Amino acid sequence: MNHEPLHTTRRYFLGQCTGVSLGAMAANSLLASDTSALGLPSLPHFAPKAKRVIFLTQSGGPSQLELFDHKPGLMKWAGKELPESVRQGQRLTTMTANQKQLILPGITKFSQCGQSGATIGEWLPHLQGVADELCFVKSMHTDQINHAPAMTQFLTGHQLAGRPSIGAWVSYGLGSLNRNLPDFIVMLSKMQRPSDQPLYDHYWGSGFLPSRYQGVKLRNAKDRVLYLNDPEGMPRDVRRGMLDGLSELNQMRYQQTHDPEIETRIRQYEMAYRMQSSVPELTDLSSEPESVFDLYGPDSRRSGSYAANCILARRLAERDVRFIQLFHPDWDHHSRLPSWCVARCRDTDQPTAALIKDLKQRGLLDETLVIWGGEFGRGVAGQGKWDSPEAGRDHHPRCFTMWMAGGGVKPGMTYGSTDEFSYNVAENGVHVHDLHATVMHLLGIEHERFTYRFQGLDFRLTGVEPSRVVKDIIA
Amino acid sequence: MQAAAIPARQGAYMVPPMIRLQIVSALTLIACLPLAAEPVNFSRDVLPLLSDNCLSCHGQDESHRKADLRLDTREGVLTQIKLGKPDASELIARIVSDDEDELMPPPKSHKPRLKTEQVAMLKRWISEGAVWGKHWSFELPVKAKLSDAKANPVDDLVTKRLSKNGLALAPRTAKHTLIRRASFDLIGLPPTPEEVAAFENDASPDAFAKVVRRLLESPHFGERMAMWWLDAARYSDTDGFQSDAERTNWPWRDWVVSAFNSNMRFDQFTIEQFAGDLLPNATPEQKLATCFHRNHMTNGEGGRDPEESRVDYVIDRVNTIGTTWLGLTLGCTQCHTHKFDPISHADYYSLTAFFNSIDEDGKAGSAAKPYMSYKSNLTAPALADAQRLVDERTPLEAASRKTAEKPFEPWLAARVKENRGGFKAWHTLMANKLETNEGTKLAQNSDAIVTASGPNPKQDEYRLITTVKLPRVTGLKLEVLPLNGVLSRGASGEFILTDIKVQVRSKDSAQVRDILVRGAVADVQAESKTRQYGDVKGTLDDDPRNGWTTKGHPKDNPHVAVFEIAEPLVLSANEELMVELRHRSTDGDANIASFRLSVTDQAGETVRSVKASPMEDLADAKVTDATKLDAKLRARLFDQFLEDHAPYREAKASLDRAKKQLAEIKKASGNVNVMVLAERKEPRDTFVLVRGVWDKHGDKVKQDVPAAIAPWPESASRDRLGLAKWIVSKDNPLTARVIVNHFWQMLFGAGLVRTPEDFGLQGERPTHPELLDWLAVEFMESGWDVKHLLTLIMSSATYQQDSATKPELLARDPENRLLARGPRFRLPSWMLRDAALRTAGLINPALGGPPVRPYQPAGVWEEMFMGRFTYEPSEGVLQHRRTLYAFWRRAIAPTFLFDSAQRRVCEVRNARTNTPLQALTLLNDQTFMEASRTLASQVVKQGGDSTTRLQWLSKRVLSRDATTQELSVLQRELDRALKHYRERPDDAAKYLQSSPANAAEVAAYTVVASLMLNLDEAITHE
Repeated sequence: MNHEPLHTTRRYFLGQCTGVSLGAMAANSLLASDTSALGLPSLPHFAPKAKRVIFLTQSGGPSQLELFDHKPGLMKWAGKELPESVRQGQRLTTMTANQKQLILPGITKFSQCGQSGATIGEWLPHLQGVADELCFVKSMHTDQINHAPAMTQFLTGHQLAGRPSIGAWVSYGLGSLNRNLPDFIVMLSKMQRPSDQPLYDHYWGSGFLPSRYQGVKLRNAKDRVLYLNDPEGMPRDVRRGMLDGLSELNQMRYQQTHDPEIETRIRQYEMAYRMQSSVPELTDLSSEPESVFDLYGPDSRRSGSYAANCILARRLAERDVRFIQLFHPDWDHHSRLPSWCVARCRDTDQPTAALIKDLKQRGLLDETLVIWGGEFGRGVAGQGKWDSPEAGRDHHPRCFTMWMAGGGVKPGMTYGSTDEFSYNVAENGVHVHDLHATVMHLLGIEHERFTYRFQGLDFRLTGVEPSRVVKDIIA
Repeated sequence: MQAAAIPARQGAYMVPPMIRLQIVSALTLIACLPLAAEPVNFSRDVLPLLSDNCLSCHGQDESHRKADLRLDTREGVLTQIKLGKPDASELIARIVSDDEDELMPPPKSHKPRLKTEQVAMLKRWISEGAVWGKHWSFELPVKAKLSDAKANPVDDLVTKRLSKNGLALAPRTAKHTLIRRASFDLIGLPPTPEEVAAFENDASPDAFAKVVRRLLESPHFGERMAMWWLDAARYSDTDGFQSDAERTNWPWRDWVVSAFNSNMRFDQFTIEQFAGDLLPNATPEQKLATCFHRNHMTNGEGGRDPEESRVDYVIDRVNTIGTTWLGLTLGCTQCHTHKFDPISHADYYSLTAFFNSIDEDGKAGSAAKPYMSYKSNLTAPALADAQRLVDERTPLEAASRKTAEKPFEPWLAARVKENRGGFKAWHTLMANKLETNEGTKLAQNSDAIVTASGPNPKQDEYRLITTVKLPRVTGLKLEVLPLNGVLSRGASGEFILTDIKVQVRSKDSAQVRDILVRGAVADVQAESKTRQYGDVKGTLDDDPRNGWTTKGHPKDNPHVAVFEIAEPLVLSANEELMVELRHRSTDGDANIASFRLSVTDQAGETVRSVKASPMEDLADAKVTDATKLDAKLRARLFDQFLEDHAPYREAKASLDRAKKQLAEIKKASGNVNVMVLAERKEPRDTFVLVRGVWDKHGDKVKQDVPAAIAPWPESASRDRLGLAKWIVSKDNPLTARVIVNHFWQMLFGAGLVRTPEDFGLQGERPTHPELLDWLAVEFMESGWDVKHLLTLIMSSATYQQDSATKPELLARDPENRLLARGPRFRLPSWMLRDAALRTAGLINPALGGPPVRPYQPAGVWEEMFMGRFTYEPSEGVLQHRRTLYAFWRRAIAPTFLFDSAQRRVCEVRNARTNTPLQALTLLNDQTFMEASRTLASQVVKQGGDSTTRLQWLSKRVLSRDATTQELSVLQRELDRALKHYRERPDDAAKYLQSSPANAAEVAAYTVVASLMLNLDEAITHE
């Protein structure tokens, strides 16, 4: 008897790999162990430099002019109009489109730090102390000028919601190193005022990838992971007994139906049970010595703070979680740079520097890629009355500064530069897609070959336009 | 179409004889070659190869075309082949070349070299004369001739393919499984035990047909179908961007439910949603229908150009039409001509022209016109539920207040006696330690007054660390005291306090906890606008751009502010209180010169006012007899007493919540604004957008449709109405196929085309092309009759098969593409919630009305929006409405749903994953806990022995009796839990959140009920 072809495409098969066909894969014994370890068999493409990522996302657009991109020459331009030859028709947001573009030179003092002589503003004194570990990219640029589209592009490669986030891509491609924790974990700083830029969950969503690849939010609440805690009055041994019964009955069903999905389900319930102890163990900072809190600063004693989340990031790295992402909101400083921007620097400076030191002293920095940055930068023109302390800066997509550390990037390096106004990239521009390509490369992934078929097209994080791996910054 | 041709309508299908599944061959299928006897099928065998490997550079997209060569037309291909002579054809030479520069596809494209069998296939095709054709889905569907005209066409066409593979249909599934399957499929709810029994006892041949008919007549049918449609429509109750403002489009959701319930023809359903407003004598409901095309996200982000947003919305509509009706990835053509499907860049923008002159301007929030004002007639049940709850709780609150008077009397008498010698509400704080961040020196005198000296930095924090001796702390008082005639150390003599922070630290722990301060009042404050210095409430938000100053009031007077702590704070012996005063104003130079801090344990008025506290006034009144007290003061004291009287506080809060809910529903019962379509007076010109960029205009285009799909219907107007008619025209080869495929996916878990969103060249081919076409034609001929089509499919033996499988068959057909078994897949999460509610008898069956808020863990919205939104679960029976009515906040979808559509853009494919987080949700979500507890208390009330009780549960949760083997496991777990809860009654009380009679037993059955609700069988479409 001849059999006709079933026309199962390989891409459909892999694309659906946690649905029906996950069962199929298990049935075909392609999967020996726990499904949570599942990455793509073809990955990594080559030996990775970094095993994991800690992405310190600064939402709102930190000002490169106050923090990193030192432009002493701007003093002579103070209060003068930005030349059209520099602006070159750059769109502005409707907040400043009708205002004269009067130049506000950076209002901080800068120092040349460490052996490398990196320029860092006075509002980040602790970061100045670890300058030699950092690799600055001063020539970042993006296509988007408003927060939500820019952050969406920054994290998913495309301005509209619907694509997988970078963490989801990594989780999908490389799978987990840890049997007891999710492989992509997200933490949001607890703030006291409503932020002007909400952090939409598509920033760590899985887009068209199966939802198991989306970031799991580690909350600052009784349930650190949603639904993690058993109800009160249900002790562990009662839960254990209940799960044993559940597993036994599910086994019986499996014997009758032979549906491999049931076996997967049994394993998932067991992983859930393990998470109920591994997550509290992870988030319990009582075992951390005083010296750690001293290192990360007073705010690290406050649960939910950016500083406390930095300690957790290190603990997650120690537990081999693949992609760890922190979000610190409220960098959108349209006014009052001296109070508002300083406030965010004070929240983040010491803990960020501490995280670098801490990873290094534990021997984790080499294999952990730390990324710091926001969705865009800020413009050289003052918003509001330029010479008043009330002044701020509008969004600016054409150039901004990010830095990376560890994980195979060159320490103590500065890459790319901007013109004298910090308005346009002067040399070695790095588009958001180039950043993505570079991060993928450090993880052992060739971004052009890492695709997922959806709606008939092979999508990749870096989109269709050519993008490049910034080889010069790779150690 | 005559009924005679559609026997299903008469419910006359017989169940075919049960055929044992036979697996003739256990050979695993690998071959991809067509059978040698069969000629190459261009659309099935050749076109996908060309599409996958060649067309991205040699397709119709001119801008990306290489070497000026097209391989998407026969003319183009003919330049590269010699008919009948594959070995003399350039096309073949290039795909087998060993020269990297010659090889196609080129190595740098990362496409793998063509496989030997693929090359062989192309060679054979050339030998056979390179027969050309269209992609299958662009050909009009026709009904294939059935081998047995009397058989159900589904079975006829499925069996045809099965027998080719030496397979047969599986036997019919058990009756309880069948009714369960049908019930989930048609109303999204499990059957009741009575419904199962009735079906099991009905031996008539049309017993199942009766079940299907009953389900189709149920008002819940429309709700089930609406859940599918709302995902496609990306329906949500909020905008989705920035402040994620709420919208009131829910009357449209009810329109969808009602359209399905009345079995509105699907073509009409389409037309009304595209252009209800353009129909002659349009009814309000027809206008309401057009909300479909307004359900997209809206972005009101400050600084964004509204025109950019407006263009986004227009584009979203066209992409949604592509995905939902046409099964085409039109989104690809937003930036360039489609690389694979016959749709050009200009075609795309010609489609956008239909939606480019809506009377909208890209704004969001409450400015997202056009709106229609609509009054729903479906709010009565919700209104009645909410009113009943207020009516129930009002007397409870009053009674509780009354009851409180009794303990108040002795309390008051005790206070009168106790405070005769005077009373001090506030107790000054003596510091254990004083700290600053920037170098200011602080010193405290014996009156607890702290004075700043030494360095005078522009900004600083003052921190006072102290031990509190009061049994609790309810509030703080800050006195800012003049020093040398001024209040601050700054040049102006005015202070600015930007924030106050209260924390507790323990000697045993390195960590500190934040204490939430709820309110602040001051004796005086400067007049101020938002984000300026003045209002004392500005000290509560950790924002240095606002805060308290008394500028404009005398500088040489002391000033005072009182802060209310959200929850009374009780400190243990080894805990210290830390109060931090932050001076971080923009200009700085406004640090307080001298101050004093006090705390109180008095609740209520004392911490909400700067005046004397009721107790102080009582002491001053110097009365000896409480009954002689001034009525006003007595009332103030009673209010203070109630603040600490837990039973009253609970009753009051419970009533307040019910009142708030009622007010909300009352508001929804009036006229609400629904976003709809309406044309503006002056049509806008439409342009091709170069590379899809909103303000880069290319050529001007007019309303038109891609001619390659179907011709424009004669006499149709060039507007949305005409477009809708084109979509549902019988000349359109796509719509009926795409929609029928959705229905198939709904019933079988996967479509006949497994890429329901893509019927184009890059999508999957149908597993059963003839069946898809037969159903599509039938759908159109029946008058786009949805209920008829579902009946037809469900009456087939194919639908009714057993879903169990065997390892051999599984290995051979893991995805069940051949349909040699019934569908088995995990139910959508919304059905799981609804099923739990129905199983426990909790479900509130009311239809329609404003959205409700099912339980979700506290704090989820708050942490996302840093406190801007608070999620308050619905109260009373409104909590138990179906998930369809759950409030959908786009920025953070309901937490209890998993694998659900995100409702940001149109989604039509089912996601189905299997994760530990899902397990945790089903184990611990409050709805599932409540359902388990309810089932347990019911089963305990039933009486009988444990076997009877476990069977009672099994019937409810699984629609069947448990087997002996299963019973023994359940009994074991029951006993185990019972033993625990008998030993630990405190655990039982906590677990049940109450202390009923037989608490241990109820708790143990709750564990078992929860276990059963988590069974794979309970959550699976079998």
